[in-house]
Amino acid sequence: MDWTKPILDSLAAQPAIGYLPGAALAAEPTAIAALALAVHGRHEAAQRAADALVKMQGDDGAVGIRAGEAAPGWPTSLAIVAWSAVGNALRGVPALPGVPERHRGRSLQDNIGRASAWLLANRGNSIPRSRDFGHNPELIGWAYAEQTHSWVEPTSFAVLALKAAGKAGDLAAREGVAVLLDRQLPGGGLNYGNTYVLGQLIRPHVQPTGIALLALAGETGGSERVAKSIAWLRRSIGPKTTPLSLGWALLGLRAQGVDVPQSDEWLAGVAAQAKSVHKLALLALAAKGWPA
Amino acid sequence: MNTRDQKTSGWNLSRRSWLIGGGAAALACAGIVLDRYRRMQAVCVCKNQRYDGSLVGEISDALLAVGIDPEWLPGKRVLLKPNLVEPTRDCPHMTTHPAMILAAAEAFRNWGAQVTVGEGPGHVRDTDMALAESGVGEALQSTGLLFADLNYQDVAWRKNRGGRSSLKGFYFPQSVAEADLIVSMPKMKTHHWVGVTAAMKNLYGTIPGCKYGWPKNVLHYNGIPETVADINASLPRTIAIVDGIDCMEGDGPIMGSLKHMGLVIVGTCPTAVDATVCRLMQVDPYAVPYLQLAAGRLGPLDERLIEQVGEPWQPLAQPFAVLDQPHLKELVRHRGVLVS
Repeated sequence: MDWTKPILDSLAAQPAIGYLPGAALAAEPTAIAALALAVHGRHEAAQRAADALVKMQGDDGAVGIRAGEAAPGWPTSLAIVAWSAVGNALRGVPALPGVPERHRGRSLQDNIGRASAWLLANRGNSIPRSRDFGHNPELIGWAYAEQTHSWVEPTSFAVLALKAAGKAGDLAAREGVAVLLDRQLPGGGLNYGNTYVLGQLIRPHVQPTGIALLALAGETGGSERVAKSIAWLRRSIGPKTTPLSLGWALLGLRAQGVDVPQSDEWLAGVAAQAKSVHKLALLALAAKGWPA
Repeated sequence: MNTRDQKTSGWNLSRRSWLIGGGAAALACAGIVLDRYRRMQAVCVCKNQRYDGSLVGEISDALLAVGIDPEWLPGKRVLLKPNLVEPTRDCPHMTTHPAMILAAAEAFRNWGAQVTVGEGPGHVRDTDMALAESGVGEALQSTGLLFADLNYQDVAWRKNRGGRSSLKGFYFPQSVAEADLIVSMPKMKTHHWVGVTAAMKNLYGTIPGCKYGWPKNVLHYNGIPETVADINASLPRTIAIVDGIDCMEGDGPIMGSLKHMGLVIVGTCPTAVDATVCRLMQVDPYAVPYLQLAAGRLGPLDERLIEQVGEPWQPLAQPFAVLDQPHLKELVRHRGVLVS
């Protein structure tokens, strides 16, 4: 049996999920669930997940961590990607009974538009160049929390969101790509976003490398550095890689055109051990790949 | 510290004398003792410690020595907070050793407490990875200990009771906000920005990354010393058990070198514990910015107000290498940085 089926059945029964069992509904896990359901063709459930995200959107366009939490708004990017993927998945699908029409028409685009406007108005802070840091802190990407510095994962999510929203050519998106290229380590890979601190080279990590490579897919700049990051990531994962790191790594590698023959075996093995619905949703998403 | 170790280390203090002296004083910090002891704090230093040694007994005795009352603990929610900031198997001296966590858990469980281990790693969003790389995940599984992912738990708002930064309050994860007792279990390390990280700085990991970021940049923007002091002032009752066995010197808290000390340091006042940790590292505690802010408000730095039980710190102190950076020179002006 396809190992993703019970995961997708579970998500279909409860498409709006939290980070942890019994926890409040949260935007990031729900966006991942929406994406997993959409890429696997579970349209009705994907629509319900997207609808849950709509309910989490604030008047300013931002989507907070959990329902009722206004800030920080870094999950806004993932909501944009999810809305876009669900909207695209629905094109050409006959109307489903009970599906809100707004998922199929202009209003979901309105959600994406308001969220994108918030994203473009809430980029990270730059700080002056300093010998203390190896990266270029004057380049602006996106932060986790408003009014703080740009880091790798929120910048990657924002770049993915702007691409999904048809704004890949926007100057902010281009600068976000520049941030991600700048934050790669000399030997390949990325971490949360530092390269050198006080002259010391910092270690790479799997998850942020996977997410950054996903965001950098299709970019032509920095090919030599990207190749090093791909090589580092490819040799850093295996059957014992933890669920989130494995899921994001495989999403990044697949987006970069790298075939990992054991990927389905690894994903199935890790999924058999995972208990969190959020992590299972990411593994199911990784089995199919990031939506085009 | 068992009877054998007391004899071999030449202590003259009996456990009874600890309990009468340091014990009662230490309870002041935890808010469960008479007012007249409020200004004195007890810190217990245990030497010749090993990860494969009798840590349960050592930690239990040290907790008694600094005044923990076992009769208070049955049914209480005790949260053990190790340091798993950015674990990697290549650098075990970066993170609290699993043996320390299991030993502390057993000590509190033996006294009837409900023990949970919780951490919000500062540099990695994949908490499972932090648990796997540190070895802590496997250790917890083997003993059935619960783990609370402090980066992603639902949160509760608490007023900033420190008032040093401009933050009005903090979001604390449920396991933190609802704990009866938090046990800061840091690794004894140098820190490239603030000099030393031990019991107080370790509590950055009680702040949820989903709200404050990876790294917890909101805190950085509001001042590391100020927010360390404020978090400590705003948390529920907090004590400390420091992993000072295999420590980190130089470019801590992530990239530094191993320094073996063989120590466990225990106290009910994190400020007093950190002052003693600094002295053991031959770092001036008065030059550590967050300790300056904590002094006299959260606990004492003054040796005269810290009752040293167990081993005296003076013969055990060794110089920890510190980065040769302008902002760190004051910490070690009396003896030099030892490393470039």
